[in-house]
Amino acid sequence: MEGDIDVPSPDRSFRRRAAAVLALALIGSTLGACAGAGGPEQVRFLLSKPEAIPYFRELIAEYNDSQNEVEVVLDTASNLQAGFLRGNPPDLGLLNYNLEMARFMERGALSDLGDMPEADRILPEVQDLVDQYATYPGRTSVLPYSVMAASVIYNKEIFEANDLEVPTTADELVEVCEALTDAGVTPFYGTYKDPWTVAQGWFDYTVAGMVDVEAFYDQMRELGTEVGPDSEVSFQKTFAEPVTLMQQLSDACTNADAPSKGYGDGNLAFAQGEAAMYLQGPWAFGEIAKTSPDLELGTFPLPMTNNPDDLKVRVNIDLAAWIPEASDHKEAARQFLSYLFQQDVMDEYNAAQLGYGTTTEAAPVTDPRIVGMKEYYDDAKFYQGPSQEIPLTIPAANYMQGVVLGNDVETTLSIMDADWARLALRQ
Amino acid sequence: MATVLGDVDLDLTKPSETAHGAVPRTRTRVEGTYYLFLLPSLILFTLAITVPAVIGIFFSFTNSIGFGDWEFVGFINYIAAFSDPAIVQSYLFTFGFAAVTVIVVNVVAFLLAVGLTSRIRFKTGLRTIFVIPMVISGIVIAYVFNFLFSNSVPALGQALGIGWLSESILANPDLAWIAIVIVTAWQAVPGTLLIYIAGLLSIPGEVYEAADIDGAGKLAQLTRITLPLVAGYVVINVIIGFKGFLNAYDIIVGLTAGGPGTATRSIAMTIVTGFSSGDYAYQMANATIFFLITLAIALLQLALTRGRSVL
Repeated sequence: MEGDIDVPSPDRSFRRRAAAVLALALIGSTLGACAGAGGPEQVRFLLSKPEAIPYFRELIAEYNDSQNEVEVVLDTASNLQAGFLRGNPPDLGLLNYNLEMARFMERGALSDLGDMPEADRILPEVQDLVDQYATYPGRTSVLPYSVMAASVIYNKEIFEANDLEVPTTADELVEVCEALTDAGVTPFYGTYKDPWTVAQGWFDYTVAGMVDVEAFYDQMRELGTEVGPDSEVSFQKTFAEPVTLMQQLSDACTNADAPSKGYGDGNLAFAQGEAAMYLQGPWAFGEIAKTSPDLELGTFPLPMTNNPDDLKVRVNIDLAAWIPEASDHKEAARQFLSYLFQQDVMDEYNAAQLGYGTTTEAAPVTDPRIVGMKEYYDDAKFYQGPSQEIPLTIPAANYMQGVVLGNDVETTLSIMDADWARLALRQ
Repeated sequence: MATVLGDVDLDLTKPSETAHGAVPRTRTRVEGTYYLFLLPSLILFTLAITVPAVIGIFFSFTNSIGFGDWEFVGFINYIAAFSDPAIVQSYLFTFGFAAVTVIVVNVVAFLLAVGLTSRIRFKTGLRTIFVIPMVISGIVIAYVFNFLFSNSVPALGQALGIGWLSESILANPDLAWIAIVIVTAWQAVPGTLLIYIAGLLSIPGEVYEAADIDGAGKLAQLTRITLPLVAGYVVINVIIGFKGFLNAYDIIVGLTAGGPGTATRSIAMTIVTGFSSGDYAYQMANATIFFLITLAIALLQLALTRGRSVL
């Protein structure tokens, strides 16, 4: 205190100091801009998939060493919504593509990549998956990089021990379940504690096994506020049959303690051979391998009808690239995008992550665990999960968790119709 | 004493006096200093709470999804919210949950406080142990209890052959809320306990001596003397607790994720979906409604408790 008073006017010196700091900051920012123009151009690259980070970190290092014009900086944690809101999004994104991401595209926040040679290499049916959520007129603003295909995971040893073949019709599926139950084996391992596992597996596989998902949602979006008990299509009308079957199947053919078990419990139990089948995606293989690295596993689409031509696998765009309109480094970002889309770079990533290639000349999948879905993928017999086309604001996963735990199917689906109509009213 | 205070005043006002040297002095020297003390909090509160709240209320009358173009839509979001069973259910659940929890927490904390202020052994050690839950993050507690409820308790139930214990309480839509009350109370009791201990320690020993002489038993002392004398602390704990429990979020996310089905979705959980799923304006309307309701409760409680010296 005493010392302060001795100073003639601390405020004036403070003001002087503040002015100096401000001036320095100004000079600093201008200098920074100059340096940016002179040195390598910085490209902020957003990638948040944890398993993919080590692979791309190495790629970035290689790329930065190979030339002096562009310096790619990896960003693994930015909040997308905030970035777009402040007009400061990353310069290049390589992320999961879903309904939420589609909103940015729909509002024109992503630039056109249609003129890039990479755009012509993408399989047309895979590019169509992007358009299923939303489109922006005249633009190809999202390029799929990797696709995950998901279906029923089955334990080959248990199937062989019980002389069972992979079922291709609904009747065969029922027979397999009965044979396993008679042999004292739990047919499916259920993990109802985590709502997403019910939506991803049970709901998506059963509904898409009977309903043309794309046509359904096209009509639903068109109907909007008119969706209800009397509309041409609706959750309660179109989904009643598959969801009822889902309820019966999940009730009759799973472990008794499924309501108490979560995703982690499921991976452990399935790895220990506690059930013959498991409704999960390829992401679970890594977790299962932690317990049983040598377990022989395969995949097949869940048959819901008696026509094998109806069999399809569930896909999602695990990684897709885009460059925001608001980026100041579009050209540099495009250069790096081309680097990422070199065929051998893509192939190596997909082989390591059990993904399916998105380009016409992509290397075929060979891993025995996912090769069972190859014929369906190659014939474009795939769909994006029906649960993925319902905006998160409608808690579809929670609703379906309620159904597998015994809630009334018709009531639940009519609630979803009402939610859909209300959402259409306000948006 | 007076001189010390005078010195402090002098020291503190010196800089501010010179700082506003050119400005005509309309305030006394002391007041100016006190405003300076308020300034940092005022600026932070305005920037971090008031401004975002006003922006949020503004956007609740639009169809904004959080970025990009938007237009005014009047009261459509409010009309849609009032007719949304999911939102209505989240209000019923949250208020019921908060009411039950506030009772459980206060009864348990009060009894513990009476025990911990009475003449017992290991008082300090016990107090420390009871306060530990307060310093653990809610989401961590929730995940630990999630494991206990899903695995340990059912395993115990099976080992003992008790049917209703063998199934996870979290998987039962009618009972899952009880688990949330238990875990929330486990975390909230220490804070409430500390306030009650402070309250009990503020009661002078003479009143108990007088009660002893008059022949009052321990129970009569508790109901006739202790309770009336800590009534003010009960009011504080109930208000703070109820307000806090209305914001229930992290423990529910860690325990049930709003399930089974939608049985345990709280108001805060529905509001948060607005940010992640492009339903920004709608959930801002929901948040505004929530704000008005809590404001009404606060005013009601203020009216009820006005005049009590402890407040």
